[in-house]
Amino acid sequence: MPESAALLEVEHLTMRFGGLVAIEDLSFTALHGEITAMIGPNGAGKTTVFNCITGFYKASAGRIALHGKRGDFLLERMEGFRIAKLAGVARTFQNIRLFAGMTALENLLVAQHEALQRASIFTIGGLVGLPGFRRAESAAIERARHWLAKVGLVDCADLAAGNLPYGAQRRLEIARAMCTEPTLLCLDEPAAGLNPRESHALNRLLLDIRDEAKIGILLIEHDMSVVMGISDRIVVLDYGRKIADGTPQAVRSDPAVIKAYLGEAEATADATPC
Amino acid sequence: MAVAATEARAVAPAPKLLKDAALTALVALVLALPLIGLQTVDAGGGGLAIRTHFDRVAYGVAAVFLGRLLLGWWGAIRAARPARDAPAVAERLGRIVSRFSHPLAIAGIAFAVALPFLPFSSRYVVDLGTTVLIYVMLGWGLNIVVGLAGLLDLGYVAFYAVGAYTIGLLARNFGFGFWEALPLSGLVAASFGLVLGFPVLRLRGDYLAIVTLGFGEIIRIVLTNWTAVTGGPNGIGDIPRPTFFGLPLERSAPKGVTTFAQFFGIDFQAEHRVWFLYFVILGLALITNFFARRIRRLPIGRAWEALREDEIACRALGINATNTKLSAFAIGAMFGGFAGCFFGARQGFISPESFSFMQSAIILAIVVLGGMGSQMGVVLAALVLICLPELGRGLAEFRMLAFGAAMVLIMVWRPGGLLSRRRPAILLHGAAGPPSPQGAG
Repeated sequence: MPESAALLEVEHLTMRFGGLVAIEDLSFTALHGEITAMIGPNGAGKTTVFNCITGFYKASAGRIALHGKRGDFLLERMEGFRIAKLAGVARTFQNIRLFAGMTALENLLVAQHEALQRASIFTIGGLVGLPGFRRAESAAIERARHWLAKVGLVDCADLAAGNLPYGAQRRLEIARAMCTEPTLLCLDEPAAGLNPRESHALNRLLLDIRDEAKIGILLIEHDMSVVMGISDRIVVLDYGRKIADGTPQAVRSDPAVIKAYLGEAEATADATPC
Repeated sequence: MAVAATEARAVAPAPKLLKDAALTALVALVLALPLIGLQTVDAGGGGLAIRTHFDRVAYGVAAVFLGRLLLGWWGAIRAARPARDAPAVAERLGRIVSRFSHPLAIAGIAFAVALPFLPFSSRYVVDLGTTVLIYVMLGWGLNIVVGLAGLLDLGYVAFYAVGAYTIGLLARNFGFGFWEALPLSGLVAASFGLVLGFPVLRLRGDYLAIVTLGFGEIIRIVLTNWTAVTGGPNGIGDIPRPTFFGLPLERSAPKGVTTFAQFFGIDFQAEHRVWFLYFVILGLALITNFFARRIRRLPIGRAWEALREDEIACRALGINATNTKLSAFAIGAMFGGFAGCFFGARQGFISPESFSFMQSAIILAIVVLGGMGSQMGVVLAALVLICLPELGRGLAEFRMLAFGAAMVLIMVWRPGGLLSRRRPAILLHGAAGPPSPQGAG
């Protein structure tokens, strides 16, 4: 797969809720090995775009094509769980959705359910303890350990995810998404509620994921230090429409963007939005 | 001045307490007046007369008033010094039990195996033990659905009934024995689980509970009314008892069949059959437990727990929520079917009466009181819930009252269930904890 080939093509995406048009005729492209940020004021429809891509909403109109390493998929026609399972789209949530009662390690193993389930020959092989399943299980634990190390949570592996500090929960959710071995990683406000030091560490983590795993990242973020620091491309939404699309430098100086968004946001760039 | 102020604050709740107690007494009065105060008696000649017992109402209301006052007073005292309260003690107990769960489990199994041979044991004790073990097995089966997958199933008794009627019908119409019918009972119950689960698993929480409750009732009503097949309220009799590798445990066998006693050259004793049934259900229950503990470490069990925690996150991770829930429902139902098959074979006779909603409620109570997802808790709760009414037979009709009071007490004392600590199914660092001293950041 050549670098800078299109990974995700969103074409004429429209999402209506009754009379409310949340997204109107939105088209953009995210490339392989790039971080594409989606910004815009509250209520601009960013999370709705995510929900359409990840299959939680069925788009009213438009096409969402993914050209991943597992093949080409039309996401708008797929069921939610299949998008994650077959097409390899992983996501995190604006309000963290970890399995709070389960340990960090178990959270990461649930993310590898598909591979483990196949190795356990749909439970029967696992019940009798086939060696193939044991190998798959230790490989899964190794992958989990790798990602726990990446996000600095190896020591917390056996603690309940819900008892971890807020920043750790955010990082664990990213690690969990990465354990599904995605082609496209969608992060919904990963820096929300993080202090400047933590969001700086997040920047490094995301760049690391991009360069090492060579996947595309789609990012919703309000924290401009994250957006401007790591994005290769920025899509700006306002009232469900795209008002700008380009490199951080181009977007920063776009008059429409300044008018709609950055003009107000610059003053609160370091504040933590909710 | 300052002393007066503190005293005033300490005294302040008193009127509130009195008001609260008076209100409770009023409710008691309204309830007790028709229930206790009025009694219809035969006046002779077919007529009814009303006898009044206002004195009893007065005693009752006074008792409620004083009881509420004392409860409130005690609560106020306890709130003043929260240092050493009951939940903390219970929490410590739970921690101790979960730490020593392994030796405790071995001791429990050893005790269960030795039970028929202990000096105080009698036919009645072993029989009661069999009943408790049926409920333990049902509890462990339902625990898969409720405790692990988090699907509230109020109609679990339906699968128990399906299992029992499977062996009943197979034995009556096709001459099946217990051991041949056992796997089929599980299979049929599991298919019923799938049939029920398929349309209803898009529902959640309370809605699912109501639909499963309805399903339980449907099964019972069908069993009652489909006389041609199920025998209706008369039930099905003459279900063969389990045999010991083909040797029936009966006094006399038809020609050509050797009984257990003849084969081993011992005198026939009715106790042998009771003991044998006891060991069969012990084995079945232990298999259920082994399966339930094992499956928690497998991807499917982990997915069930994840589904209980957050269904949306599961979908985002590519887990097919519908299939996963269906598998939990079917496997839970399967164990209900096994238990039902054993129940049918043990009683030798089944009728729809045995599968009322009360049974579902008791099984669910065992799971909830024991602490959802806790294997040991189910045993403890089954012992309490099944033995308590038995021990309380001397209390006659008050035993259900005592039963209810015990349940309320457990819920007040330990709302999460007797043993509600969740143990992770898999650890990265082993039991010793992480190697470096610094723990969570």
